[in-house]
Amino acid sequence: MRTLRGGTPLLDSHCVIRTHDLRKTFRVARRRPGLLGGLRSLVNPILHEVVAVDGVSLEIRRGEMVACLGPNGAGKSTTIKMLTGILVPSGGQVEVLGLVPSRRRKQVAQRIGVVFGQRTQLWWDLPLRDSFDLLRYIYRIPDARFRHNLDQFAALLELDAFIDTPVRQLSLGQRMRGDLAAALLHDPEVLYLDEPTIGLDVVAKHRVRSFLLDLNQQRGVTVLLTTHDMSDVERLCSRLLIIDHGRLLYDGGLDEMRARLGHDSTLEDMMRQFYERTARELLADLEADADPVPASYA
Amino acid sequence: MPAFPLLHLYLTLVGARVRGQMQYRVSFALSAFGQAFITIIEFGAIVVLFSRVPRIAGWSLWEVALLYALAETSFSSAEFVGSALDDFQLRVSQGTFDRVLVRPLGAFFQVLAEELALRRLGRVLQGILVLILALHNLALVWTPDKVLVLALGLASGMVIFFSIFVLAAAFCFWTVEGKEATHVFSYGGVTLADYPLDVYADWLRRFAIFVLPLAFVSYEPALYLLDRPDPLGLPSWLRLLSPLAALGLALLARLGWSVGVRHYQSTGS
Repeated sequence: MRTLRGGTPLLDSHCVIRTHDLRKTFRVARRRPGLLGGLRSLVNPILHEVVAVDGVSLEIRRGEMVACLGPNGAGKSTTIKMLTGILVPSGGQVEVLGLVPSRRRKQVAQRIGVVFGQRTQLWWDLPLRDSFDLLRYIYRIPDARFRHNLDQFAALLELDAFIDTPVRQLSLGQRMRGDLAAALLHDPEVLYLDEPTIGLDVVAKHRVRSFLLDLNQQRGVTVLLTTHDMSDVERLCSRLLIIDHGRLLYDGGLDEMRARLGHDSTLEDMMRQFYERTARELLADLEADADPVPASYA
Repeated sequence: MPAFPLLHLYLTLVGARVRGQMQYRVSFALSAFGQAFITIIEFGAIVVLFSRVPRIAGWSLWEVALLYALAETSFSSAEFVGSALDDFQLRVSQGTFDRVLVRPLGAFFQVLAEELALRRLGRVLQGILVLILALHNLALVWTPDKVLVLALGLASGMVIFFSIFVLAAAFCFWTVEGKEATHVFSYGGVTLADYPLDVYADWLRRFAIFVLPLAFVSYEPALYLLDRPDPLGLPSWLRLLSPLAALGLALLARLGWSVGVRHYQSTGS
């Protein structure tokens, strides 16, 4: 039985996210060069298929905090986008809170929160407070609940100093704190974070991490995050998913991973080793199978 | 709870967008100023044309003005309501459509509520002005059925252009390049509907009747209002079919949009 950080046994082993053999293939049109080529490509595009997610099966239980790692273009974001209902899978099954996201998109959306580190969900030209107000309408959040959540998040994330500033004038760290609060006002049961600490300074990173830990422990929100920052993983997650070339290469604890690699240096070194080793193994595998090399989706 | 929750939500979201627009006052003033002259210049060109020739293919100035007003009014009101649709390729190519899909509302509703270009109201008003002028100068004999045909003609024209905008936006789910090519049907469409159909080549007329129903925006309702025989010898019940043509195109647009959303590929992180 897996345990939460701090050794508390999981009381609810109910699965909130489940995928089986999940796949996503993109058909990408390649342009022919030149103006005439552009016109020809419009009528008769050269399509080639890019396998972004290649049979991922995983289960995440309520209250878990899981980190999804992998090099750029490994298929992490694509996987998360299928878990939110943004992308329709090309194959396999996916269930979130017992629902198929691409078929029950609105119901799933009401119960999940999403933060994309590189792209804000806030209203760019309006004060931060206005975004919160609009989300209250969009998610039909009861007044008392809204005020309670907003007060709490404003205190934890120290939003008061800039809550009346237009979003476009916020620093990256302030904007990320605003985005976090915005994604949580409607009490989601699952929170997806795509690179939540990207570009933040150490102080801002620390603040975001403490907030996420608190959220997970106090509210029991299930968190799935992607990151390239190894200290995110060490601070936050006891469970790791490593995805590369669209495949789930590792699913297990941080400590098991350490043991497996027999290495006591930093996690960053371990990851680099892991990526390089699996990449080599993959290549060897593929040569043996004589399959075409799956191109990664950039 | 408000009486029409979806309308209330639409106004709330659109209101937020308009507040955002007002942060850039100079840009707003300039584009509103530019919009104010589109109709004046276009309609002025028609008036100048008719100062040289009394009739075009048997149509007088105010008869053509009626066509022009029907086409412009329905086009500009569709363009106003669908303000968010013309730069939709940006939302797709930059991946901002993602945020629409993670919210518990219809995707199409949210896209529409993201933008309402108030400056476009100017063009709608100008269309209505030309319509009033044309109807005044034509001295039609009004009967209830003509009032109905006029109202349904305007509504159908608006739906037809709106559907063209939706189809053009849905096109972006497959390729974000070449969105400009769809302007042939929207901007080209309204220009085609500005003039009587009988001035065009045969294949273009057929296209406007049987393929993309632009004939039903202005030409067919105008024939009915003016009691003109169809110079092309088409049956007279055709001129009552505007709502049907609009409905057909709207259903097609709806289908195109929903297939497109399922085909959405997002962007890399």
